[in-house]
Amino acid sequence: VLIATAAGEQGGPAAAQRWDDATVLGRLLDQFAGLGVIGVHVITRRPWAPALEPSLADRGVPARVHASESAAEDLRAVAEIARAAPRAVVVAYGDIVTQSEVLAGLLIDPRVTTGILATLGRVARPFGFRVRSRRGRVVSAGSPYHSVRAPNGTFLGIFKVSPSDRERLVAAAERLAALVEGPLPEGWEEELAAKAANWRRILAARASALHEEADAEAEPEEEGPALDHEALADPNLPPEADAEVERRRLSAAQDVTALLLVGLVRDGVHVGQSRLRSLFWARPLSAGGLERAKEQIGEHDEEKALLDAAVKGSDGFFTTFFVSPYSRYIARWAARRGLTPNQVTLVSLAVGVAAAAAFATGQRSGLVAGAILLQIAFTLDCVDGQLARYSRQFSKLGAWLDSIFDRTKEYLVFAGLAIGASRVGDPVWLLAGAALSLQTVRHSIDFSYPLARHQVLAAAPQPPLEAPLDSRRAAAPAQPVEARETDPPPEVGEMAPPPRGLPSRIRGLWRAGDRTPMRWLKKIIQFPIGERFAAISVTAALFDPHTTFVVMLAWGGFAIAYVLAGRTLRSLAT
Amino acid sequence: MSATTVPKDSDATERPSVLENYRDDGPLATALGRALGRGVKLPAIALLLVAGLPLLVAIVLKGEGASTGLVAGVLAWAVLAGGSASARPLTDRLRWAAPPALRALEYAGLLWIAAVAGGDSLPAAFALLCAITYHHYESVYGLRHRGVTPPAWARAAGLGWDGRLLLGVVLLLAGGLPAGFYVAAALLAVLFMGETVVEWRRFRLGQQPAYDDEEDDPD
Repeated sequence: VLIATAAGEQGGPAAAQRWDDATVLGRLLDQFAGLGVIGVHVITRRPWAPALEPSLADRGVPARVHASESAAEDLRAVAEIARAAPRAVVVAYGDIVTQSEVLAGLLIDPRVTTGILATLGRVARPFGFRVRSRRGRVVSAGSPYHSVRAPNGTFLGIFKVSPSDRERLVAAAERLAALVEGPLPEGWEEELAAKAANWRRILAARASALHEEADAEAEPEEEGPALDHEALADPNLPPEADAEVERRRLSAAQDVTALLLVGLVRDGVHVGQSRLRSLFWARPLSAGGLERAKEQIGEHDEEKALLDAAVKGSDGFFTTFFVSPYSRYIARWAARRGLTPNQVTLVSLAVGVAAAAAFATGQRSGLVAGAILLQIAFTLDCVDGQLARYSRQFSKLGAWLDSIFDRTKEYLVFAGLAIGASRVGDPVWLLAGAALSLQTVRHSIDFSYPLARHQVLAAAPQPPLEAPLDSRRAAAPAQPVEARETDPPPEVGEMAPPPRGLPSRIRGLWRAGDRTPMRWLKKIIQFPIGERFAAISVTAALFDPHTTFVVMLAWGGFAIAYVLAGRTLRSLAT
Repeated sequence: MSATTVPKDSDATERPSVLENYRDDGPLATALGRALGRGVKLPAIALLLVAGLPLLVAIVLKGEGASTGLVAGVLAWAVLAGGSASARPLTDRLRWAAPPALRALEYAGLLWIAAVAGGDSLPAAFALLCAITYHHYESVYGLRHRGVTPPAWARAAGLGWDGRLLLGVVLLLAGGLPAGFYVAAALLAVLFMGETVVEWRRFRLGQQPAYDDEEDDPD
């Protein structure tokens, strides 16, 4: 479903703006067709339908226009379409200018079932609605009428709903239709007014700070949150910026996409997210904005972003700096040769078995050969996942094989080292068994802890759909709305921190290091797989299996104590 | 009852039952929990610490020089106290610590048995641990990639952490080590790998027409 109800500069739909020899909407339809979308419904205002019809012809995907009179009718149309849809449903602004790779990241990546497209960072785009996510799950979403406390991302106007959540999308659309039809619930108008005032402030700050580069659609990284609210209480905006705010305010009142997202989140649906990465996204509502989008879109390299995104963001130090820099090119080479991730996984296992066999000889030459083979196996182990993400060949069996073979390789190598040590008269089976136990217990913590945290997030009560504010402040709805006129709006301002206990304060101090090289030190301490395999190779090649196991137990033991302490504190703090 | 199938939706991993399944309680622990655990109002992790503390102290103080009687007594206590924790729901703040604590209890107990038995029992224990850890990883990865928890028959046949610990004690007292551990390792490996094969086959037969990620294109 594409929602094309935002007005452009000339009064017509922004989606009908020219883009090369088509329109913004037509371009979007082409992109959807390329991603295997089987049907598109475009919802627009009745007078605009004729202007949009030409965009729909010959687009490689069947599309039809639904004319509607109001946001409530838009929502009912969404409900009807979603109810009849055979598969997953995507709801998006019809006037987005972005790259196919961005859409692919959300639409065809099976790791996101129900999810949004988002950018991270607190103040990325002035007119976007904010979201707050925890552990990859959206826990609060903004709309023209809903604000988000402590946001950490921006919703980029497109979301996907899996078949199993579709009924809840229908329900959300119907509830919202009833809400926007009559007089708006208490506080909603004020919330939008506060947002518009905030947009003016941001534009004014930009106009005074960087006059030429003042660019609503610029890259998110460029603009910091450094806004001086006091000095800009009543900004004098240049007329074009004034017009821009007015356009955004009017289109926001029709923004059912963001409202639907709030509906899903407040209903407790698990909404994941796909990130923009270093790619381009804009929603130009004026000729000027469109020109800038045309200029900038070419500067974002889709191929590079795809390759970068193939590398897991959560990898450890050794993997990130010593393996991924070249393994991604092996992955690309393998993709071009048409190799599948499963083939790479199997080769990696075979090399791992060879490494264990070499270790089992117990001779120096065997230990050195095993160390080298283990590093090759580990590189291939990174390649298979990167190849899967790069070429989007996800299979459940493949992911299972990858996980289970990782463990198999590691523990086979333990066995090989212990056999080798026995052959030269230094039995280390107790150490080997202890190392295996320690690592499995460690993994058990790593499996259980996020699960428990997700249970807590899923069980956290959501405020009712009518409440413009999320969280605690929603409990006292009457008083704060008036005061908000002078308060910095929640999008930009810091909320007063809640009173915190000792565990929470320790954790705050600990987390402060996350933006510095300390982050890597913390990762190394935790002894991730790259560090483990490197430690095995180095100690086995230079010393003997006995040393290897002592190091595994010492480093692994320290890591487990560290992780246990941190997670216990975190559990008790919240 | 066959497999407890978790519905294939995005909330699959958020059901409370999932963490419960990571415990790997056997029939014995479940019975103990029913008989004893109701009255105890402590969180599971507290009971597990009580269960494991004597084991830790005995290993540190006596090590492989412990008498078989001490081993039997300490591990019987671990099964009794740890088993009674099986009735405690995992809803407290430290609920995530219960499965790793059970892993630690079982692995440490089996290694200690082998160390006390001496001779070639330690490589046998390593083989046994390989089969058991495969099962523990598989129950996690099976949920993650197939969306199902282990079937009840496999859980009962695998004896649970409690049953395996007790089996180890019996083998130690009967002088059945290391052969007993090798046999147990082989049987469990066949059982757990067989379970994997059966479950993947079920998954592919059941899932392909109904739900296939690659086909799941949005509208």
